[in-house]
Amino acid sequence: MPRPATLAFSVLAFAPALLGATVDFDREIRPLLREKCVECHGPKKNKGSLRLDAKVHLFKGGESGPVVVAGLPAQSPLLERVTTEEEDQKMPPKGERLSAEQVQKIQQWIAEGAVWPENDADRAAARDPRLDHWSVQPVQTELGAAKSVDDFVEAKRISAGLTAAPEADRRTLIRRLSFDLHGLPPSPEQVERFVQDPDPRAYENLVDQLLASPRYGERWARHWLDIAHYADTHGFERDQLRPNAWRYRDYVIAAFNADKPYDQFVREQIAGDVLAPGDPQSVTATGFLAAGPWDFVGHVETKSDVLKRAARAGDLDDMVTQVMTSTMAVTMNCARCHDHKLDPITQQEYYGLWAVFSGVKRSDRNIDAAAEGLYNSEKARLTKQLGVLRAEIARLSGHGFELASLLPPDSGIDRRNGTVTKEKQGYYRDLRTNYLQKVDKVPGVLAVFVPDGKSPVFVADKTPVKGVPESSGHAWDTIANRPLNAQRGTQLNGADYAGKGHSLLGLHANGGITFDLPAIQERSGLRAMRLTGVVGFGAAEAAAGTRADFSVYVDAELKFQRTRMRKDETAVLDVQIPAEAKTLTLVATDGGDGIGSDLLFLGDPKLQPADPVLTGVDEVRLKAARDEARATEAALAQLAEPARVYAAVPQAETPVIRVNRRGNPEDTGVEVTPSAFAWAKHAPAALGGNDLPEGQRRKVLADWIVHPKNPLTRRVIVNRLWHHHFGQGIVTTPSDFGLGGDRPSHPELLDWLAGELLRNGWRLKPVHRLIVTSAAYRQSSQRMDPKAENVDSGNRLLWRQNPRRLDAESLRDAVLATSGKLDLTPGGPGFKDFDYTEAYAPIYRYVAHEKPELWRRSIYRFIVRTTPHRFMSALDCPDPANLTPARIRTTTAIQALALSNNEFMLRQARHLATRVENESAARSEAIRRAFALAFQRPPTEPEQRAAETLLSEQGLFALCRALLNANEFCYLD
Amino acid sequence: MNTPYPCQRQRRLVGRRDFLWELGGGLGGVALSALLQEAHADSGQGSGKGLHHAPKAKAVIQIFCPGGLSHVDTWDYKPELSRRQGKPFDPDGKVQFFASKPGNCQGSYWPFRQHGTCGRWISDLFPKLAGRVDDMAFIHSMQSKSALHGPAMFMANSGFILPGFPSMGAWVTYGLGSETADLPAFVVLPDPRGLPPGGVINWGSGFLPAIHQGTTLNTDPAQPPIDDLFPEKDFAHLRGPAELAGRDFLNTLNRAHAETRAANSELEARIGAYELAARLQLSAPEATDLRGESEATRKLYQLEHEDIGPFGRQCLLARRLVERGVRFVQIYCGAENTGAKKIRPNWDSHEDLVRDHGYWGAILDSGAGALLEDLKARGLLDSTLVICTSEFGRQPAAQGKGRDHNSGAFTAWLAGGGIRGGTAYGSTDDLGAKAVEKPAYCYDLHATALHLLGIDHEKLTFYNSGIRRRLTDVHGHVIQELLA
Repeated sequence: MPRPATLAFSVLAFAPALLGATVDFDREIRPLLREKCVECHGPKKNKGSLRLDAKVHLFKGGESGPVVVAGLPAQSPLLERVTTEEEDQKMPPKGERLSAEQVQKIQQWIAEGAVWPENDADRAAARDPRLDHWSVQPVQTELGAAKSVDDFVEAKRISAGLTAAPEADRRTLIRRLSFDLHGLPPSPEQVERFVQDPDPRAYENLVDQLLASPRYGERWARHWLDIAHYADTHGFERDQLRPNAWRYRDYVIAAFNADKPYDQFVREQIAGDVLAPGDPQSVTATGFLAAGPWDFVGHVETKSDVLKRAARAGDLDDMVTQVMTSTMAVTMNCARCHDHKLDPITQQEYYGLWAVFSGVKRSDRNIDAAAEGLYNSEKARLTKQLGVLRAEIARLSGHGFELASLLPPDSGIDRRNGTVTKEKQGYYRDLRTNYLQKVDKVPGVLAVFVPDGKSPVFVADKTPVKGVPESSGHAWDTIANRPLNAQRGTQLNGADYAGKGHSLLGLHANGGITFDLPAIQERSGLRAMRLTGVVGFGAAEAAAGTRADFSVYVDAELKFQRTRMRKDETAVLDVQIPAEAKTLTLVATDGGDGIGSDLLFLGDPKLQPADPVLTGVDEVRLKAARDEARATEAALAQLAEPARVYAAVPQAETPVIRVNRRGNPEDTGVEVTPSAFAWAKHAPAALGGNDLPEGQRRKVLADWIVHPKNPLTRRVIVNRLWHHHFGQGIVTTPSDFGLGGDRPSHPELLDWLAGELLRNGWRLKPVHRLIVTSAAYRQSSQRMDPKAENVDSGNRLLWRQNPRRLDAESLRDAVLATSGKLDLTPGGPGFKDFDYTEAYAPIYRYVAHEKPELWRRSIYRFIVRTTPHRFMSALDCPDPANLTPARIRTTTAIQALALSNNEFMLRQARHLATRVENESAARSEAIRRAFALAFQRPPTEPEQRAAETLLSEQGLFALCRALLNANEFCYLD
Repeated sequence: MNTPYPCQRQRRLVGRRDFLWELGGGLGGVALSALLQEAHADSGQGSGKGLHHAPKAKAVIQIFCPGGLSHVDTWDYKPELSRRQGKPFDPDGKVQFFASKPGNCQGSYWPFRQHGTCGRWISDLFPKLAGRVDDMAFIHSMQSKSALHGPAMFMANSGFILPGFPSMGAWVTYGLGSETADLPAFVVLPDPRGLPPGGVINWGSGFLPAIHQGTTLNTDPAQPPIDDLFPEKDFAHLRGPAELAGRDFLNTLNRAHAETRAANSELEARIGAYELAARLQLSAPEATDLRGESEATRKLYQLEHEDIGPFGRQCLLARRLVERGVRFVQIYCGAENTGAKKIRPNWDSHEDLVRDHGYWGAILDSGAGALLEDLKARGLLDSTLVICTSEFGRQPAAQGKGRDHNSGAFTAWLAGGGIRGGTAYGSTDDLGAKAVEKPAYCYDLHATALHLLGIDHEKLTFYNSGIRRRLTDVHGHVIQELLA
């Protein structure tokens, strides 16, 4: 540390020299530094992380901060270190110290502003070598449009002295191509046709046919959904359903099939709702931003703001990471806690991307504003019409007696002591369950009670009842003629029962109230009556999953019961009460899942005359009104909800984002504005100020990503195509083009393909065509060149095609295609091959029912996050919590067990046996047919013999089961 | 080991792998599992596999108590909390827990006593475990980064609050391979009531090859121990001799296929996987068949007890698996919050702690106590690291008759393989609200466990999405104070 006294002394000592001429850095300082300092503080040793061999290094300083403060020698540790006498401080530590004159020169140089004219070495040192990284250099355009894939591949391979494998035979080719482009095997007939096709362009024609088929989109959407980590549930602790997520999945399939230009595909997925708000497809595309997991408990359920902020931070990180890794293969998330350790991406840039998405959340949303508007207005019209009709029916059939009017206005009955109170009450801690609490102060009400359904329940003296559902025995708030404490809504089926002309009786579970019928008869003049009204919930929408029950007793007889009602359900009451009945009891219970959100209430609970005295005219009108009401109810029920999708939903507010120090949302630093990152220098990284509207932020980012000069976006997507056609990419880390990732085996080829993409208007099918028609793709997967494995064991130079095992989806689909059971119904909600049990955390139990719906292609499987499909996982189907650019492939005993013994496999083996039996006349023919279906070839002579033995001993089923387990079935050559 | 080939026919394969088969467990097993399970799982991404130093433990049994085990009622003695019984916990009213505002201070529902020669305090909830305290080492200053079950479960298991990262068991088997050729290296024994919060992701392999994910063993004795071990339902007739001809035929097909494809070594591995599967059909039922256990052992684990028995069975199975060379066994003492039953299905005691911790406490005490005693008696405790943890603790303030979540403090304990019993590390404040002295996260627990297994937690890595990932992220230090 500088000690001013010493410094003052040294400065004084050389004061006279200050009068000399200006210091010449290159003549007087640079050689001095080189001679005295650079040995330890240079490229070789770099002690204390300090280098003094170039301008940029000196001014950056070392571990303990800057060493030179221009103009202030007294504050410059450099001067301090060369003058101090302290043993552990002095510089140089060994050897001759600086002369007085040299020290004076340094002092003067600093005082004069530490001017350091740059030479070439300075300029070279100032350049961050990471900026020269291959992937951020502009895509080369001078590669010649007349070239082909093979020009590039051959050049590399020949220079390594390797020879290519010959072209694979046609059976191998059609099988390879069919799985690659469709994820399905070719039928034996297709194979036969292709093998026999005399057309020299037979292969090219086949490619065109396959690319034109809708099966292509179903196959390639799967690859995209892997990097979008798409699933049909939220994940985390409460893994609830996302019933509308599938529309995004269908969008991706349709986009591939239509060969939607890739730039448009990306743009729509990031900002489709802004680009074309009136286009349902474009809006649906933003399902991309919502595809990943989402923690309901952290976002909604917890009451803690800290936990909510943490959940939101995870949410934004997920969106940013997904968008940037999928489109540009940048591992942006590494800059969440600090600047990226490998790539020149700052933490501030990372949070600049948060700012792009800070105004969007994931949720179900409408995809067609017009249809939504139509639905809403029609629903409002019908609801209003129904209200009018009901009022008319009420008037015609006699007004009856409002139950809620027994209580004084805006008050409730305390469940603990039966008194009337205006106070709102919450959770009762000190309540006696199953105790009949008399109510003395409210004429017409006899008693209240809190049943738990386990002990006998009395609704009145000497009146035990049966059938009260079991419950927790807990209770909340009074029984009141007003909305309950914490009640969110007072509307049911569109009518507001807190509004004028309506009445409301709040009866939160668990609880019962018994009315004194003789007293009410006396008061109303009614005799035989009907109880009418509607029961529903005043809970928040988020609580839709929890349940409650509602029961009505007349004396001890259960007259009405609905159990385990959901929050979005209601029940219309119409209960007959004979004239001689003594009590009427209403009971609300918690549906077996606790009392949380069980805000039950009755709308317009009334006692009406059972047999109203009507004039003839009234009677006709009453009947008509009742018919109309029924028709309107039916119309309401049939009103189709407009299409929705789980996607990005812009919020009213776009919160300002600050850097989270060390990634901690509770420790925020500087405010950031929407930005991308400067490393890809095709366009400015700054995307706008914090006044930029939410939607525009995403639009600007999308434009930045698909900018034609963006060095990454096009390279990344053509490399992904290559990856799936060869089993490994030109860059083997398809989602990391940074310094930690792989370098391209064929950089020029990668750029040429990226150029072809642009020349073809960003369409992917032409690029597929270029790849799969190449000789490199069409060669055999056999090793022909014995030395190849030594030279290039990873086959980066493509001396053969790579043999590959089918991924989980292709294998499952291939089994179904082979057995003949594959259902090719496209699109729509995913098929659920599980039994679903509603619970706090829903339970998913997989089944292998014999239902054609469950035999659809795997892309249409309803994907559950916390309970992955065991069979699929065993085959390396990835966890959709992860972005998966490349499937891992394992070979395990569990896999062997799944393919041998899983019920799905056994059933399909049986179906295959039936199919083969039906499609062949003789035993030898059956074996040929089975081989043709499974392997797309006839059996060899020894295979035929072995199969015949098996067939005679164990039957066709055993043969089919073995074929579906064979390596040849699971591998592509 | 020389068990007959499962199909009872003459082996046709001759070669390196057969030689390894003969060797069975030990080194041969390791090499074999490498051959069968890992060689083809996208090599080049991982590094630091194998031992980094001499291990103290060969295997791990981890008991996980999901829902949030209350440390102040069990392991962490807080007399000051009891002294403040009924006094306000948060006089300013500023604190907001996961689901509630803090109630008043609530001392332990069970009295604490000193036990063993070490004299550590343990509450009366755990009479049997208290008797083993001289074998146990406590970390009282555990913390989590989330107070939500899902993320906190993920963190406790994988070091990350997000799903998708490999669990500790996956990392360990990835690093060390297997000691047995007959059973999976990482086995999970879930509570028979159901899966814990977050489901099977808790023992997932994340981005590691799928072979490293935990294999769930069905703890219901009526079920086959491993799913798909045998054909089920209307295919049950396939079991036994009927299988052999088909298996033989499959082998013929695969042999012929592989012969013409010399350059694809995966094909050989896949043939081997079918052989291993056949061995599993013998070894898994054997490992889970408790009929051979003595009456004393059955009593020790209280197998016949309606409530305690199922967990006792899980613990006994864990011992049997470790005996047979399984590397990592995870036992769950509790399931997911599946609606309000008479008793909470796990330790998440919001509304009635005495009822729920009372129930689960008796279960954990009996099973874990029996396990420690049994392992010790058999000389297995020295080479087996036993870990007991939860995803977070509970608040010292009352929430009605229960307690809310507390990510600021909880206790984990370790025993066996290389652990110095009777010790403790770190501490919480006077009330048990927050870890104050030597705060620790799962990173430190994981680093310590890996260390005992012979692994340097900073060296065991796997490349994923731009970064060499570790179980301990960029954190973690080995807690030397607890080591023998």
